[in-house]
Amino acid sequence: MWGEAMEGFFNISLVVEALPQLLTRLHITLFLVVAATILGIVAGIIIALLRIYRIPGFNQISLLYISFMRGTPIIVQMFIVYYGLPAILSSVGININRWDKMIFLILTYGLNMAAFLAEIIRAAIVSVPIGQTEAAYAVGMTRLQTFWRIIAPQAVLMGLPSIGINIVGLLQDSSIAFLLGIVDVMGKARAIGANTYHSLEAYVGAAVIFLVITLLLEKVCATIERRLTMKIIGD
Amino acid sequence: MIKITDIHKAFGKNEVLKGIDVEVAKGEVIVIIGPSGSGKTTLLRCINFLEKADSGKMTLGSTQVAFKHATSKEILAIRRQTAMVFQSYNLFNNKTALENVMEGLVTARKVPLRQAAEIGKNMLDKVGLADKHNAYPSRLSGGQQQRVGIARALALNPEVILFDEPTSALDPTLVSEVLAVMKKIAQEGITMIVVTHEMSFAYDIANRILFMDGGVIVEQGTPKDLFVNAKEERTKQFLKRIVPEWSYNI
Repeated sequence: MWGEAMEGFFNISLVVEALPQLLTRLHITLFLVVAATILGIVAGIIIALLRIYRIPGFNQISLLYISFMRGTPIIVQMFIVYYGLPAILSSVGININRWDKMIFLILTYGLNMAAFLAEIIRAAIVSVPIGQTEAAYAVGMTRLQTFWRIIAPQAVLMGLPSIGINIVGLLQDSSIAFLLGIVDVMGKARAIGANTYHSLEAYVGAAVIFLVITLLLEKVCATIERRLTMKIIGD
Repeated sequence: MIKITDIHKAFGKNEVLKGIDVEVAKGEVIVIIGPSGSGKTTLLRCINFLEKADSGKMTLGSTQVAFKHATSKEILAIRRQTAMVFQSYNLFNNKTALENVMEGLVTARKVPLRQAAEIGKNMLDKVGLADKHNAYPSRLSGGQQQRVGIARALALNPEVILFDEPTSALDPTLVSEVLAVMKKIAQEGITMIVVTHEMSFAYDIANRILFMDGGVIVEQGTPKDLFVNAKEERTKQFLKRIVPEWSYNI
């Protein structure tokens, strides 16, 4: 009787059963994370540079943007983008009803990432000692040459640990993307739970997958940091 | 060679350069001394536009510029005829010693890599760092870093090398190795403008010493003129404070 009661509550063999089904949707989760990260890095660099050079107007806008993105729950941002963007664009006559839900998700997560990364990138660039820039100018290098050859490599090294942490955070944040109806790992877990009435095991399975990917990500980041440190400052 | 006319520079309300004229001939070694805040470093940094002067003109080699209205092209042209050695060395942290020395040649002067490496190695040998070509700045002592900085300046073969208190950040035991290198290149006829507090060094290598105070050149002359027969009271006061042994008449 005990066995039956326990089996009703949590059955590890069901977790094992769920895993292969969940893994079939892993590529969706990974695609979302990778695409959003790329968008986040590109947009983050642009915003960081706009703020560093204090381009009038952009500075205020980007501060507002960063505050909003960092200060509101990502689920709110998700629905604002999903329902708001089509509404705004249709008022100017552009119809985006046919767009894949993934696009909205990549936009939301990407813009969210950009807000966090902009601060990290800005801090990393600014933390490179001013003497480096002065020496580059004194030697006759242009602004662009100075940035690419001297400042950026050192800034990348500074910012890498924080960027890695944010990517892991993005992975976790992606766990609510299924609320828009896409079938990623979490979406599949919900589906399995609905079908088998064993939601707990399905979500535990998903958690295991997320955990393994996080550990792999952290390992990769640590290796990249070590290699770059060797290459960039020979230590 | 270098002629600066009526240079003015103010930081907000604080006027740091109050109309200075300087002329430096080719091969001359000029040392600028003076109390803190006298404008010596600012003057140096205005020459290669690390600070933008408010007014005045400069002729460097064959290039003429007006400080206030200099275009980026003119600034680049000036910077490509000068080199600077910094108080805090400012070596490129992500490059080896050799790469540091080569960087200006390869990037700013489009010298082919092989030739630049050749020049770089020669310069590093000249400053006594033949065995440190592939060392990163983080592995070098202060004196070694500064010597790389000097090699980096030499490699550019500039009209003039600007030295901004090159030994002020160094451990006293490391100062002499850097001064020895500077003396060597002074004797080779390199044009140098040096801001320093090392008085005996100034006496030793300078062709002419400029004493600055409060944004003007108070007095200038050969080392003997200044240290032994100073004319201005301010000069005498300054020298008395920091070089007590020179205040006796010989």
